[in-house]
Amino acid sequence: MKKKLLAAMLCLAMALATVACGSSDTADTSEPAAEGTTEDTASGDAANSGSSTVVVAMGSGFSTLDPGYVYEKYPPLIMNACYENLFKFYSNDGAPEPCLADTYEFSEDNLTLTVNLKQNVTFASGNPMTSADVAFSINRCKNLQGNPAFICDTIESIETPDDYTVVFHLTQPDSAFLSKLTYSSLAVLDSEVVKANGGTDAEDASSVDTAQDYLNTTSAGSGMYVMTSYIPDQEVVLEKNPNYWGEATNVDKYIIRIQPDSNTQMMTLSTGDIDVAMNMTDDTMAELEGQENVQIVNGATKTVGFVMMNMNEEYGGPVSDPLVQQAIRKALNYTNFQTICGDGSITPYSLIQSGFMGSKGERDANYTNVEEAKALLAEAGYADGFDIDMTVCDLDMEGILLTDLAQLVKSDLAQIGINVNIVSQPWAAGYGDAYRDGTLGFTVMYWATDYNDPNVQIEFLPGKTVGVRAGWSEDMNPELAALYDEAMNATDNDARVAVLEEIQDAMYEDGPFIFVVQAPAHIAYNTRLEGVAISDPYSLDLTLINIAE
Amino acid sequence: MLRSVKKLFKSNYLFTLGVIICAAWILAAILAPVIAPYDPIAQDLTLRLQAPSAEHWFGTDTFGQDIFSRVIYGGRYSLLAGCLTVVLAGVIGTFYGAVAGYVGGQVDNVMMRISEMILSFPSLILAMIINAVMGSNLFNTMFALVVVAWPTYARLMRSVVLSVKENEYVTASEALGASKFRILVKEIIPNSISSVLIMATTDIGNQILMFSTLSFLGLGSAPPTPEWGMMVSDGVDYFNKFWVAGFPGLAIFTMAVGANFIGDGLRDLLDPKLRKQF
Repeated sequence: MKKKLLAAMLCLAMALATVACGSSDTADTSEPAAEGTTEDTASGDAANSGSSTVVVAMGSGFSTLDPGYVYEKYPPLIMNACYENLFKFYSNDGAPEPCLADTYEFSEDNLTLTVNLKQNVTFASGNPMTSADVAFSINRCKNLQGNPAFICDTIESIETPDDYTVVFHLTQPDSAFLSKLTYSSLAVLDSEVVKANGGTDAEDASSVDTAQDYLNTTSAGSGMYVMTSYIPDQEVVLEKNPNYWGEATNVDKYIIRIQPDSNTQMMTLSTGDIDVAMNMTDDTMAELEGQENVQIVNGATKTVGFVMMNMNEEYGGPVSDPLVQQAIRKALNYTNFQTICGDGSITPYSLIQSGFMGSKGERDANYTNVEEAKALLAEAGYADGFDIDMTVCDLDMEGILLTDLAQLVKSDLAQIGINVNIVSQPWAAGYGDAYRDGTLGFTVMYWATDYNDPNVQIEFLPGKTVGVRAGWSEDMNPELAALYDEAMNATDNDARVAVLEEIQDAMYEDGPFIFVVQAPAHIAYNTRLEGVAISDPYSLDLTLINIAE
Repeated sequence: MLRSVKKLFKSNYLFTLGVIICAAWILAAILAPVIAPYDPIAQDLTLRLQAPSAEHWFGTDTFGQDIFSRVIYGGRYSLLAGCLTVVLAGVIGTFYGAVAGYVGGQVDNVMMRISEMILSFPSLILAMIINAVMGSNLFNTMFALVVVAWPTYARLMRSVVLSVKENEYVTASEALGASKFRILVKEIIPNSISSVLIMATTDIGNQILMFSTLSFLGLGSAPPTPEWGMMVSDGVDYFNKFWVAGFPGLAIFTMAVGANFIGDGLRDLLDPKLRKQF
């Protein structure tokens, strides 16, 4: 008995020691951020409502902050504060607007874009921003051949006729090009500083460029803030850029904690240790409701879950029949999908997510009609329904398990006599290959946008990347397939909206895809802040946040 | 034998408790359609995550499914997996170990190295790999459990056979001209089996836990099958709604504890040597 007691006490002592070490670790990391003795630790700052330091907690999943390599979900939050691009999304549902660019013009054949730069812009180092910096930054991203290099695929060459003019020659008309130029990887770097630290935009940059280490410690952009410290998977510190050319907000310093756990975020937000919690869930939001000093925001992301029914009878079986597809579309209860995904989630009208330029918004809430679905099924010759396997992988869509969505499909289709048997197959153990090869018959999957432009969605058209995964070839619907090129060509915003709307209408009740739900995003923040909003391209636009006077 | 079982019931209350618990679960599993008040996979999203009440004794989960009904049905999978795994692994392991021990020599060497190869992997990870490669459903999960479990039986059986085969009655059989196979089946195995039986009864509880662990990790049947482990993992996201994970967790706990109590009691009964030590 004595021995047991001793063992228990030993365990307790060890547990305490671990906790103590843990907390002293975090104290250590926040110390270098504090300047001198007048400033408190990070937590003290936030709790003090008069402070001009804002603490943000966000998710992890990245290991570099060199713009040439960033591709993951959260780095744009930091990039957007430290760097600027030629264009920027100033509002969440609009078109890209000039930022470092002043004016721009597409040529008649849409193969050349001429951008005139603003002339009063300086980098944090004090160097003026010129066309050479723009060309350097974009060529560097392209030649580093990192994850984001695909964004430069349509760039053939960049010309700089004078200090304030940049000419892009494109390989093909690309109506998404302005959106691509807003992408964090194409942020304009201070080429002089980056070159001095080992950077190059030469074709062999992928092996020669050594600026990544430097850009992981500080930023070299023209943004409102300068990164002063980056401890991977722990913390990023941003301080105000003293040489900022534009108008700045009244937040002097950001401490960004990389701490994805929603419960921790919820608790630290309630105690005032952090000001913005980026990774809240439906459940943790409920805990915060009604709390003083805390504001919650629910919104929809552009990550969309969809049901895919293979057009190829060999794989799809009965669901390859367009009548059956329409029956399924009518039978699904979209409200249930929104309930399971949580507050803020919505069902898009068609293939273009609500929030994108040209989107037709949401699908009618009364679209579901089980009787019509049954009639359609009978017309297709399946009056008594049928049995079918639905393969689902182990991934989650912004925290919502795909198997959860599959269970809803199963329950809804049971009402019209279709008996769905859910088969789970891990992504790595065959599902991924089958999905890409287009051999899955019936599945639920999700689609996260690579960059913030509706053109990412037209890959769902027949014969295109995602379309062929559902066995949907160009000759099955040549009219619709032809709209792809039309959409790529439409550089004028009005023309783009027109063709995107045409595509959405065409796919509203036709095709092998049913877009069931856009995943929600949940943010909670301290009410001493103004301007906190969900942002698709940047997660959170730090340059729009002010501390309430 | 019957008298000693009666004595066991009287003297060992834990054994009695274990029998009651397991009998209750077996009854619940068989009579699930009668006992369960709702269809275990019927969704009602208007009744999401309701706390336990008179209508829903164990509350409802994220799809509004009745947790009590799901727990009752879930017993079928756990019991089936636990018992079938032990029976299959026991049979395979017994024969394998008996052959290795009785034949001896190089055959023994090769056979035991093969089983040790399997034992050298952490069992949970090996089961996960097998499951991931073959695809996860109830039978593949049980297959994985059997693959992981049989070498333990083989080793035990071999060590017992090594001493049993030195007995005079084996020599006598050999002198009478009995074939090796006959000796193995008629003399060796019947005289070595009791220790395997003891191990098997205690192992049922472990296998149920192992099965629940795999299904918790998403390597069991596909949802919405009401498997306990999977139900616990569904509830992990709702840490302030204890009933979602709590009741299936309690079910796993009682079933495993019940099986272990029975195992312990049977060990006392079948292994008098061990019993005297206590």
